[in-house]
Amino acid sequence: MKLKAIALLTIAMFVATACGGGTSGTTGGGAAAGSIKGNITLWHAYGTGSSEETALNGVIDTIKKANPDAKITVLQIPFDQVFNKFQTEAAAGGGPDLFTAPNDELGNEVRANLLLPLDDKLKGKLDKVAPLGVDGLKVNGKLYGVPMLFKAVALYYNKDKVPTPPKTTDELMTMVKAGKTIVQNQNGYHLFGWPQAFGGKLLDDSGKCIADQGGWADAMQYQLDLKKAGGKFETDGGRADTSFRQGQVDMIINGPWVLGDYKKDLGAKLGVAPMPTGPKGKAGPLTGVDGWYINNSAKNVDGAIALALAITDAVGQKAYADVAGDVPVRTDVTISDPLVKSFADASATGFARPQSAEFANYWGPFGDAVTKIIEGKSTPAAGIADACKAMNTANKK
Amino acid sequence: MAAVIDASIDEAKLAEPAGSKRGRPRWLTAYLYILPALVIMLAVTYWPILFQVYMSFTDYGLRNLRFDAPGANFVGIENYINLITNQVAQIANFNFWGMLAFNLFWTFSNVIFHITIGILIAVLLNAKGLWFRGVYRAIFILPIVIPTLVVATVWKNMFDTDFGAINQALAGIGGIFGISPDNFHIRWIDQVDPPISWLPLPLSYFALLITNIWLGWPFMTIIATGALQSISKEYYEAASIDGASGRQQFFNITLPLLRPAMIPAAMYGMIVTFNLFNLIYMVSGGGPLRQTEILVTTAFRLVNENRLYGLAAAFGIYTMIILLVLTLLTNRITKATESYV
Repeated sequence: MKLKAIALLTIAMFVATACGGGTSGTTGGGAAAGSIKGNITLWHAYGTGSSEETALNGVIDTIKKANPDAKITVLQIPFDQVFNKFQTEAAAGGGPDLFTAPNDELGNEVRANLLLPLDDKLKGKLDKVAPLGVDGLKVNGKLYGVPMLFKAVALYYNKDKVPTPPKTTDELMTMVKAGKTIVQNQNGYHLFGWPQAFGGKLLDDSGKCIADQGGWADAMQYQLDLKKAGGKFETDGGRADTSFRQGQVDMIINGPWVLGDYKKDLGAKLGVAPMPTGPKGKAGPLTGVDGWYINNSAKNVDGAIALALAITDAVGQKAYADVAGDVPVRTDVTISDPLVKSFADASATGFARPQSAEFANYWGPFGDAVTKIIEGKSTPAAGIADACKAMNTANKK
Repeated sequence: MAAVIDASIDEAKLAEPAGSKRGRPRWLTAYLYILPALVIMLAVTYWPILFQVYMSFTDYGLRNLRFDAPGANFVGIENYINLITNQVAQIANFNFWGMLAFNLFWTFSNVIFHITIGILIAVLLNAKGLWFRGVYRAIFILPIVIPTLVVATVWKNMFDTDFGAINQALAGIGGIFGISPDNFHIRWIDQVDPPISWLPLPLSYFALLITNIWLGWPFMTIIATGALQSISKEYYEAASIDGASGRQQFFNITLPLLRPAMIPAAMYGMIVTFNLFNLIYMVSGGGPLRQTEILVTTAFRLVNENRLYGLAAAFGIYTMIILLVLTLLTNRITKATESYV
């Protein structure tokens, strides 16, 4: 009897999975059947077993079934290697036909002539994509990718401990002083959003660093005050994640790429809100766009573009939103999850990631400045001034 | 019959004009034999080195990487000067000489521990009547056979501030003496301030040192064990008859006779430790604030993170020169190639 019940339950689960629309194996790109042909090699850098990888695999499975003439080879590359590996291989005439990544290295890759310009090929095919998504993959006015997702950090909070998230920096400070805990990744990316809330600007129109002219030092002073009040800073992102997922801290600032994983641990307790507004306005987290880029040395250009369009169509982006909690760039995809909606709001107010050669020299000097300031080895004003000077020196400004 | 044929061949050879076969010089035949190997060496060894030398005099970057890209701009010795004058703004806190000094200190401090511990344990394992000698030797070989990446990952987790085994063990020991566990949230990897105020070394250096001592002494033990077993027992018997104590025997027989085996091993250990990329990259990442960065990890960053190929090429040339000097010194001390000269 017990065995029968288990068997029936198993069959019921299979039927539910086959009919349902929210799981990885059954969602996917709604490419016109048979439109993708030939051998296509695709690279991604999603973590093994991550919800993003699950979403992609589900989409690819559906596309493969609808396009039996296409032989799609999927290869995972560790995220910290994906840009270097692509650049090295593509430069030598190899590499994948297409790959997906944030637009971190887009400008450099375009200047190195490694990516195929797509304006002509995508004419009229991105009407449903938000302008910020398309602009995010443009360099010098030309389009170099098929937009997929917005990526910007926001404030995750544990609803059991923080029923109402802080809307302003003052509220956050008051909460932390009252015993609530927040952990932040101590680096130039996760902390990038704060200076805008304090009136800071990184670059002027000529690409010169002007962070030393106000705002940035105030934002870093705020971080120091937060730390003094009990806020935590971690150089190890995994450790920061763990402390939030295990309920040891109440809030963390992180991106949508961990939403699926946080949900597994915290379930209904998980909340997401935009970063708190500061005295000079909204926070400006770096808003990146994940895209699908076509290798300039691709052996199957048409197949690669057709595949990219299939993955990024409304069905594919819906799968990413539902399975991985990612923010779609398409305006015709309804976001059902309020947490994903919060990330969409955070992305909308963010600072579009610049693709200039000047911005590429932000990471070294400012990453170091963050460490020096948070560790008390430098004052906020001196740390930011040194970083700005180093950035301008590197950019010959 | 065969002997007759062989003899006729030899006679034919002798009959050929000196140095040639059908008019071809013998040296040409020799060169033809080594030609395939030479071509491969030229392609995979000498051409990349020559290309690196060319790159080091240019501003070679990502834009020049593609096979049909325009050539890089010639910048003369600018890369070389920028490196030794620390003018590398893309990498914060870049300090070539500080890094070289740390690299050398890191190397020597590690090898001293490796050799001392390696010899002591080899002597203990060589003691008469020791039970389970084979088992100990098998266990002690483990650090050598486990991949460095695995070792580095495990040790990095062990040094974790909150969850790491090291801090938990220290807290356990501290508890015996009534010290609160709160005192043992030691930031082994991230702490910027040096633990010893007069010694400009971060705590992560000591974490790396502990890890690499664990990793490095078994090799020295193996070498020392082999050398110990080749020392004749007669020396010790003669010394005992003359009344030498165990300590005197160790310093006057064991150590001098271990020297010929241990010096080449030490030199090998130095070169390996000097270039110990995996451990530093995986455990401390060169941090905090680049204080534990060594030359090879910096070369990796110049290429992999900053795409400064020209600068990295010049950096590689400097590294090669430094290693060449170390190797020549090694050769001079160990006389490793003496018998071939």
